[in-house]
Amino acid sequence: MSAAEITLVVLAVLALAGFGLWRIAQRLDRLHQRELSSRATLDAQLVRRAEVAAALAESGTLDLASALIVGDAAWRAAVEARRLVGDDTGDPASTDDTRGRAESELTQALRAALGDTADQAKIAAEPEGADLLERLAQANYRVQLARRFHNDAVVQIIQIRGTALVRTFYLAGRARLPQTFEMDDDLTVRSEGARP
Amino acid sequence: MRIGLVCPYSFDAPGGVQFHIRDLAEKFLDLGHEVSVLAPADEDTPVPDYLVSVGGALPVRYNGSVARLSFGPVVAAKTRSWLSAGDFDVVHIHEPLAPSVGLIALMQSDAPVVATFHSAQLRSRAMQLGYPLVRPGLERISARIAVSEDARRTIVEHMGGDAVVIPNGVYTKVFADAEPEPRWRGTPQAPTISFLGRLDEPRKGLAVLAAAAPQILAAHPGARFLIAGKGDMSEARGLLGDRAGALEELGPITDEEKAAMLASADLYVAPQLGGESFGIVLVEAMSAGAGVVASDLPAFRRVLDDGGSGFLFTTGDPESLATTILGALADPAETQRRRAYARTAVERFDWDRVAARILDVYAMVTEHETAEPRSLLGRLFGRGDGR
Repeated sequence: MSAAEITLVVLAVLALAGFGLWRIAQRLDRLHQRELSSRATLDAQLVRRAEVAAALAESGTLDLASALIVGDAAWRAAVEARRLVGDDTGDPASTDDTRGRAESELTQALRAALGDTADQAKIAAEPEGADLLERLAQANYRVQLARRFHNDAVVQIIQIRGTALVRTFYLAGRARLPQTFEMDDDLTVRSEGARP
Repeated sequence: MRIGLVCPYSFDAPGGVQFHIRDLAEKFLDLGHEVSVLAPADEDTPVPDYLVSVGGALPVRYNGSVARLSFGPVVAAKTRSWLSAGDFDVVHIHEPLAPSVGLIALMQSDAPVVATFHSAQLRSRAMQLGYPLVRPGLERISARIAVSEDARRTIVEHMGGDAVVIPNGVYTKVFADAEPEPRWRGTPQAPTISFLGRLDEPRKGLAVLAAAAPQILAAHPGARFLIAGKGDMSEARGLLGDRAGALEELGPITDEEKAAMLASADLYVAPQLGGESFGIVLVEAMSAGAGVVASDLPAFRRVLDDGGSGFLFTTGDPESLATTILGALADPAETQRRRAYARTAVERFDWDRVAARILDVYAMVTEHETAEPRSLLGRLFGRGDGR
């Protein structure tokens, strides 16, 4: 084989390898896009859930102590806790679990305030009560969905970024390694209509 | 919302997945959405006008059974033009791992993809060979739905990640409102026991029912067995010998006849041996108000709330089936109680509820779809935080 032929073969191999790496980078990129939009969705759903919880606290259908506790937890979740998006410091150290804790506390406050299905039947009998419970059931279901879809994307990113090829060739670039969002979202709300 | 549904299996020989997609499409149309279904179908197969065909399907042996699938360059081109003409907000692909039009649409779609997994068993050999190939495709799915807890477990074990469980839908009202058919009505002397399913498919378990029949006929000599479905039942007749007359062969029946049969018979028996991910016919029977006797497969156990909505027997055991049927016939009050419970328990499978939950999933994947588009080069070289 002449020098020219060897060069040609080497170039071809390099081009193929480059193409393969490009494809992996593209896959990773698509996953990061997905993670970004699922995180934004999750954030929006969490805020919506807190809004419904606040409306429930203000409605007068809960007892006064429960109303204060739910209202406070909703305020901390929706207003005080860190947003999941829109923070462009890019500092992984700022990714702590304060938001997850605040959301879990809201869930726990709601669980205690709503009681079992018999207690919820009384709330549903109040004016507005049934509608608020219905909205809370839907909001919480959507939080569960959004969280599962988000964590799914995160797990896939972590998997692919753990592979030797991605690490060696720095295919993840400067993208932050995302984290799953952990919280207690186990809430049973009585619902007449469309949801469990 | 503009919704594109993709079905991998041909509408020439519709089965559970095709019916599910048809019902879902019609429910969405009812709710005022724009819906288009992409599926294989022969030119001379009558299809609803919301269905776009990618052409005929080939019978292919894959994953242990023969399925009618579509693939090849023509299918890919038709899929591409369907996607661009539809300009969908969401593309919902059913059984995305079937090597058919669904997998092609998955790789081509620019809209967010929702995928529903119907099957509870992926043969491991096919998965081991195919998984590295389909993995980039799986990464494009924004939301995974499993139709049952069993289907979900298959996903968790074979692919990692998770899925939300949304059951198959049933138009429960159609079955609840079905008019009973007098000639299928049982009497205390001659109770009627119904079966539905392919007659010569061992998995459907007709042989188990036939083997249990002599014991039932010994206690209730007038009992009639209504056997509906396609196929040859000479084997089942053979098991009964000179009592074969008790088996009344109804042949293939229409949806209306099915509803009428379930509403008329004293008991509906589901003796399936396995391979059932969901058990839609149980929900139909429960909606129609039939007393249900079913094998204790995990999927059936869950649909029947561990026996709250019906009677369970040991899968594949004719002795257990006979005892269970005789027990149900001997205690009409208990049977009635479980039927009443079943009527309310089926609400969670009604299309109204199921479609609303699927729309929730769509909302979750479309809401922030175009949040902040950013280029590949931006991530690799930019100063970003991955956004």
